[in-house]
Amino acid sequence: MKRKYKRKKDESEINITPLLDIVFIMLIFFIVTTSFVKEISLDVNRPTKSPVKEQKRSEVISVRISAEGQIFVQERLVDIAAVRANIESNLAIKPSASVVIVSDRDADAGFLVKVIDQSRLAGAKNVSLAAQK
Amino acid sequence: MLRKKRREEEESEINITPMMDIVFIMLIFFIVTTSFIKETGINPNRPEAETAIRAEQGNILIAISPSDQIWMNKRPIELESVKIMIEAAHAENPESSVVIVADELASTGLVLDVMDQIRSSGISKISLSARKK
Repeated sequence: MKRKYKRKKDESEINITPLLDIVFIMLIFFIVTTSFVKEISLDVNRPTKSPVKEQKRSEVISVRISAEGQIFVQERLVDIAAVRANIESNLAIKPSASVVIVSDRDADAGFLVKVIDQSRLAGAKNVSLAAQK
Repeated sequence: MLRKKRREEEESEINITPMMDIVFIMLIFFIVTTSFIKETGINPNRPEAETAIRAEQGNILIAISPSDQIWMNKRPIELESVKIMIEAAHAENPESSVVIVADELASTGLVLDVMDQIRSSGISKISLSARKK
């Protein structure tokens, strides 16, 4: 009697081997496909092309990048290292102004990113991009 | 004699419960952290920026090579097909934002054109990839 009971109990255990197989296969799949690399990036604000909202000239700090990579803040030629200081002093006069970066189509994207970065560092809240025809 | 042998056999079975626990925890971890980033196929030289932050939802990558070629999903694509490709990628993964991985030497005009194409596909969260200084 005792032996019979014991055997019954043994048989009633669920066989988890197929479950383990599936779990291991899923685990291996996720280990292989996962990638932890996240891009480090700058958010950009590009105004829509069609109805260009006319911003008051007084509320805009324009930064122009020429094809050769020269940078003009409010139409004054400045060095890349001085962009931040220039934008800061402009922002001190017009605290609510937004920075509009007007870039020549042939300028390097590296300059664009640098100027965006520098204007963010200067504390500009609104940085937007435009292309020069 | 027979009974004793049987009991010994039963005791020699390995207890796999802790292993199962660990395997399940790993499985859940990998399921949660995984994000299927599709490689662009090229590794451009990203410009340096100080204010760049991790793009947590930046799953759609589109790269621009120094010679102004657009790469996505490991093959070069035309500017005209950017919109369709982005729409398809966005449909697969509706919460993701787009990261443009532009080389330092890529032209700004093309970066802005790509940006316009992405915007016309209905995604407003666009960022430019950079490298921490």
